[in-house]
Amino acid sequence: MGKGHIRNHIRKLRFFHNEMTQQQLADQVGVTRQTIIAMEQEKYSPSLELAFRIARAFNVPLEEVFSYEFQDETNIRKDS
Amino acid sequence: MSYQEKNITVSLVNFVLILGFYLFRVFQMLQSGSFNSTNVFWLWGIIIALAVIVTIVATILTHIGSGIIQAIKTREEPRIEDIQDERDQFIDLRGTKVTYLVSSIGSFLSMLTFVLGQPPLVMFTLLIFFGVLAQILGDISRLYLYRKGF
Repeated sequence: MGKGHIRNHIRKLRFFHNEMTQQQLADQVGVTRQTIIAMEQEKYSPSLELAFRIARAFNVPLEEVFSYEFQDETNIRKDS
Repeated sequence: MSYQEKNITVSLVNFVLILGFYLFRVFQMLQSGSFNSTNVFWLWGIIIALAVIVTIVATILTHIGSGIIQAIKTREEPRIEDIQDERDQFIDLRGTKVTYLVSSIGSFLSMLTFVLGQPPLVMFTLLIFFGVLAQILGDISRLYLYRKGF
């Protein structure tokens, strides 16, 4: 079985939501700013609950914030 | 560096100093021929008391120090992110796992010396050594996870 990687568009969505700061988003979803930074740098994949809270903060469906990239051993294909 | 990382770094420095003091005292005892139960248990008490008191004092000082530095930098009311969110809890859990693993292996090795005919004092000396070492390795793994991500 190949390896998966969760990608996100949090930085872009923040920009399009009146340039929302990391701290504002962190306060809205109930985590620390460090966790938002780690997610934007794709160093941390959030729990399902936090992912839904982030999507709700931007008022968009979950798939618009997160996407799952599947890396096969032989070839790489994108799930969108 | 986040508040949690600062706390872990302070704890790591404390336990490295405590381990250094412990090893220094044990080697001193071995060299002077005073490696006996009275001295070893006195050292046990000192190490446990130091670990508890220094950790509490260091946590308070980190909290106050972070607040002062932040207030100077931003010229605003200090805002310390001392809440633990899901990422902090997960990292803490992974660190605790490392601590338990090292302390379990350490306890096993310490008891093995007893089985192999060494005096009980060797076992007690190794037990506290592995206890402090486990805490250090747990802190290192926490810092690594904060830096590298997962």
